[in-house]
Amino acid sequence: MTATKTQKKSTKVNSFVVQKYIFIAVLLLIPIVNWALFWLTVNISSIGLAFQDQRTGVFTWRNFKDFWDIISKQDGELYIALINTFKYFFIGLFITTPLSLIVAYFIYKKIAWHRFFLIVFYLPCIISGLVMVKVYTEFLLPNGPLSQLFNLSIPPEGMFARSTSATPAIIVYTIWTGIGGGNMLLFIGAMSRVPIEVLESAKLEGCGPFREIVSIIAPLIWPTISTMIILSFTGIFGASGPILLFGTDGKFKTMTLSFWIFKQVYGIGEFGGSGSYNLVSATGLCFTLVGVPIILLTHWLVEKVPSVEY
Amino acid sequence: MQTTVSLKKKVKENSALYRRGGAEIVVFAIAFIIFIAYAVSLLAPFYYLIINSFQSKNAYFTNLGEGGNAFQIPKVWHPENFLIALQGMSLMDSVGREIYLPEMIFNSVWYTIFSAGGGVIISAFSGYALAKYDFIGKNTIYAVIIFTLTVPIVGSSGAAFKLMSDINIYNSPLFLITALCGYGTNFLVLYGFFKNLSWSFAEAVFIDGGGHFTAFFKVMLPQTQSAMLTLFIMAAIGSWNDYSTPLLYMPDFPTLASGLYRIQTSFTRNGNVPAFFAGLIISVIPVVVVFSCCSGTIMENFTVGGLKG
Repeated sequence: MTATKTQKKSTKVNSFVVQKYIFIAVLLLIPIVNWALFWLTVNISSIGLAFQDQRTGVFTWRNFKDFWDIISKQDGELYIALINTFKYFFIGLFITTPLSLIVAYFIYKKIAWHRFFLIVFYLPCIISGLVMVKVYTEFLLPNGPLSQLFNLSIPPEGMFARSTSATPAIIVYTIWTGIGGGNMLLFIGAMSRVPIEVLESAKLEGCGPFREIVSIIAPLIWPTISTMIILSFTGIFGASGPILLFGTDGKFKTMTLSFWIFKQVYGIGEFGGSGSYNLVSATGLCFTLVGVPIILLTHWLVEKVPSVEY
Repeated sequence: MQTTVSLKKKVKENSALYRRGGAEIVVFAIAFIIFIAYAVSLLAPFYYLIINSFQSKNAYFTNLGEGGNAFQIPKVWHPENFLIALQGMSLMDSVGREIYLPEMIFNSVWYTIFSAGGGVIISAFSGYALAKYDFIGKNTIYAVIIFTLTVPIVGSSGAAFKLMSDINIYNSPLFLITALCGYGTNFLVLYGFFKNLSWSFAEAVFIDGGGHFTAFFKVMLPQTQSAMLTLFIMAAIGSWNDYSTPLLYMPDFPTLASGLYRIQTSFTRNGNVPAFFAGLIISVIPVVVVFSCCSGTIMENFTVGGLKG
């Protein structure tokens, strides 16, 4: 009788374990298939394409040679693209992100109208880039609103049809729309988890806003900052403004690496272009190989900074 | 519990932290002025867009001419610009069929619901399995996800484009299966959420004779409602505004964002910029309405650490 009971119990336990594995398999089936198909296959295929001839499909180093020819040409399309990509990346990292941190600090410290500012500064995140870019370009028309309000002398051909002003104008746009948004919210979230007693005692010691940000808040929210830094470096070669929406088509020295890739791929469609996947894959492979040590080094450096437990 | 939370909030609000004096007042006053200027710079474009969407073609160009005033309130309002946008804005698909704005709105709706909803739900699946169960390969799967998120892959879009064509999901609503990925940032947030959720809720279900599916769908998943709603709204806003993905992979199913991008040059060539502005406002209204209704939830979840992950 006892043996039967034990057997029954054991069967029940086994069935529960089997159910557990079935359940896990059901939950993970779609993500695993999706990853295998749209990440693993795509990336393996991309590496394969980098070594294939565009027309015949046979093995070749030609794509890498073509890549080198394009990128080593001073003032060539890809050379400009790379320089601009770095501009967007470093400005994002050293100007936009610190500004987001400062804005987040004042909102966290309940500056007057902080709720209003929180919503308004988040607007660029919820409004389509198409709308923002359209209005921004209108504002910078030769006799547009900004010219009328501040008596600016904008060249007759506009800011976006001149090599000297097009990229700086797009960079200003990325800063203007990038200060608020997701980073600001994440910083405020991180600050709100800082123990209030720490900040109160610092304040009683006479700590001012600058010292509070640099010496107390930044070290305490370092895990959030470091994650952002690592993620920024992950996208280092994808840094860009919305070049497509500005309609410069990469001309006037506005090309970026991600837009160059977009043009090559999108080009095969009805809008014309090269559609040269093999060159794109070879280019991507080279930049990925450069990017991996950069991200590992960044990770190592970020880990060197001791994080504070609280 | 609720009393404790509100008490803590009250203590925080009355904290010495928010009392200012001396130099701090000056710093905050300067910051306030800068904030006002920045807020005006973000709001002025919408004022400009709205008033000009009601202008006539001629008034729009006159206001942008020598001695004009671009912020001029319309002398005669032209609400018909919105009708022109809805009935006159169109683009042609690959078989020569005209696609008008209402169809783009419809495309935007299903594109947004499936890509944002699918992504969040599948992330909840993978997040729960990895956070709450021990099984062979669990650590490998987690490591692969972190690797996928951090490795700086560049230029695989050519191969992706080729794959979409090869498996016949290019230019088809089936393309949305790519959104069912449970290994993005949504995964990280929900993984963290489930990790902090007590397992005793599930155990109570097992004691009552329920299985793993019951525990997940009836007890554990509903507890993530607030986080999932926030993630869904954020993803939905992103999908609604996404112009490049539909442009690249679903050209015959233009959404409002990708369609308006394609239309803008041809439509504004004959000078009908106010009607184009009306189209832009139509595209913005749903996002603004959703955000206005849910901004409390979004801000609360982000700014009080609900989405710390």
